[in-house]
Amino acid sequence: MSKQVLIFVEQVAGTIQPVAFELLGAGRLLAEKLGATLGAVVMGDGIGHLSAHLIAYGADNVYIADHPELASYRTLPFRRVLIDLIEGFAEAPHIVLFGSTTTGRDIAPRLAAYLETGLTADCTELDIGSYNHTNAFDPAKIGLYENCLYAIRPSFGESLKARILGPWKNPQMATVRPGVMAALFPDTDRTGTVIPMAVNLRPEDLQVVVLETVRAVGELVNLANADVIVSGGYGLGSAEGFTLIQELADCFKNGAVGSSRKAVDAGWISHAHQVGQTGKTVRPKLYIACGISGAIQHRVGMDKSVTILAVNRDSAAPIFKFAHHGIVGDLYQVLPELIRQFKKPISQPTYATSTSL
Amino acid sequence: MNIFVLIKQVPDQGSKAGVNADGTIDRAKAKRMLNPFDRFALEAALSTKRRYGGIVTAITMGPPPAVEILYEAIAHGVDGAILLSDRRLAASDTLATAYALSQTVRWAGAFDLVFCGLQTTDGDTAQVGPQLAERLKVPQITYCESFEIIEGHIQASRVIEGGTQTVKSPLPAVVTVANSAERLAYKTLRGAQRVQQLQRDEEARKQVIRTVTLDDIEAVPDRCGLKGSPTIVAATEKVGEIGGSCIIYQGRSIEGLVQDALVAIPRELVQA
Repeated sequence: MSKQVLIFVEQVAGTIQPVAFELLGAGRLLAEKLGATLGAVVMGDGIGHLSAHLIAYGADNVYIADHPELASYRTLPFRRVLIDLIEGFAEAPHIVLFGSTTTGRDIAPRLAAYLETGLTADCTELDIGSYNHTNAFDPAKIGLYENCLYAIRPSFGESLKARILGPWKNPQMATVRPGVMAALFPDTDRTGTVIPMAVNLRPEDLQVVVLETVRAVGELVNLANADVIVSGGYGLGSAEGFTLIQELADCFKNGAVGSSRKAVDAGWISHAHQVGQTGKTVRPKLYIACGISGAIQHRVGMDKSVTILAVNRDSAAPIFKFAHHGIVGDLYQVLPELIRQFKKPISQPTYATSTSL
Repeated sequence: MNIFVLIKQVPDQGSKAGVNADGTIDRAKAKRMLNPFDRFALEAALSTKRRYGGIVTAITMGPPPAVEILYEAIAHGVDGAILLSDRRLAASDTLATAYALSQTVRWAGAFDLVFCGLQTTDGDTAQVGPQLAERLKVPQITYCESFEIIEGHIQASRVIEGGTQTVKSPLPAVVTVANSAERLAYKTLRGAQRVQQLQRDEEARKQVIRTVTLDDIEAVPDRCGLKGSPTIVAATEKVGEIGGSCIIYQGRSIEGLVQDALVAIPRELVQA
């Protein structure tokens, strides 16, 4: 059997989550470089209809585990199915990828520990390459390794990107940050093989039960899906400042309110709004940072935004080093003026078109 | 209830001390702090004790100065502490770390709950909790926001994308605590007094803060540190600064500079 790249497909109530399509896109590129096949494993209850989508988006093989006990994600049953799948192959997959979601970050480390193999968290780039290990302190690993997974991720506190490798044992595993990899354009003419899996759960796999799952629609702060995020930081000076932030966010069709950690710590706004290292990672079409200095902890959560507009009184603030556009001025003057110009009925302001950015 | 809480000392990223010009951290010079995520785990452990009774033991793995965070945990009210410190642990990745911690937990005795922070600010992987649960062969609850103990089970609310989920697991279990959970309460006067006493009284200190090596916890050295780590950091590069490419609007009338800045805003995003 040839080499295989395997991706874990997240589905919720029969809907494939966007990160799965992104993993298929990334996995396809890796598989091409390796001359490998791309497998997708999907689990759930009544999910037979999903395999055609997964093939259209790049999978060569779809391993499908359809069972009532797999209806909603739970660590232990999913762990069992993945172990049975991976151990059932004549040769371990070369690479296994998961989304860096609450599900992916729950199952991937558990599986990696069982398999005693390497796992790199929250990657933002993946590649294939060679590696020459020369560390004399660990002689057993010395050698030249081909076809290694390069798992590349930000090393947050240190403003660095780290390339992490583990070529000594397959599968080489990684979780991949949602919203970073590009999905392929679906091709319904693509062909693939659907392989139903036998599901053999043991009593100990079923000890944890899901009592209730609540997914708020529109109620919760949905930073992940907002096109525009207007964020307020410590520079707001008070909780009242978020009224102005909200007012600006409301000027957009799909706007949401974000914040820096300092504003959350000050008690001005709830944690659900926090963007950054200990909050959410976002990449909206437009991110407006108001009174945010742009410390690395905030930056890592938003610097993939398509356009960043910063409003800050301090022209030396770090945010102006990576924002695309910066207004140096008092946000309490700038924001009301922005809102006024958006609402101005006659002589329309001269907006950009998104292609010119 | 026998409760463990796993905590870690991390470089203080808010401090400029020990930050090299190239952005790397000189860990010897850097200011150190309790991993901010672990504060939520500490609160979860202490609140379990407050509500249901029991003994809380804080465990950390690190070089000798990591004892500082154990004192901090004691000041907040934990009963005892364990420092796993051994040069052979250097360069451990998450798998090797989880193995060493699992051996420490086994050495420390039977448990009902092990609480971990969701992740650390220096590694940012969120992997050690689930890997520890696998090693200990117990269920895990990750991203836990709040919980109750009901008839030998933990019933917990966990954060998921766009919502929450309530799960019920038998004990023992490993729980990683979300950073939207209850904040750590203040240090107690009794805790602070206890720290002072322990710093004066070496005999008492040895009773309360036990320092162990790989030999004590019967860990296989080849499964720890560099040798026990299936991954290595092969290369690092500085995150590119886009520096200088920011278009700055300043110094004119507010109305004028806002009007100029509107080029940044795609029209189709704005409410008609």
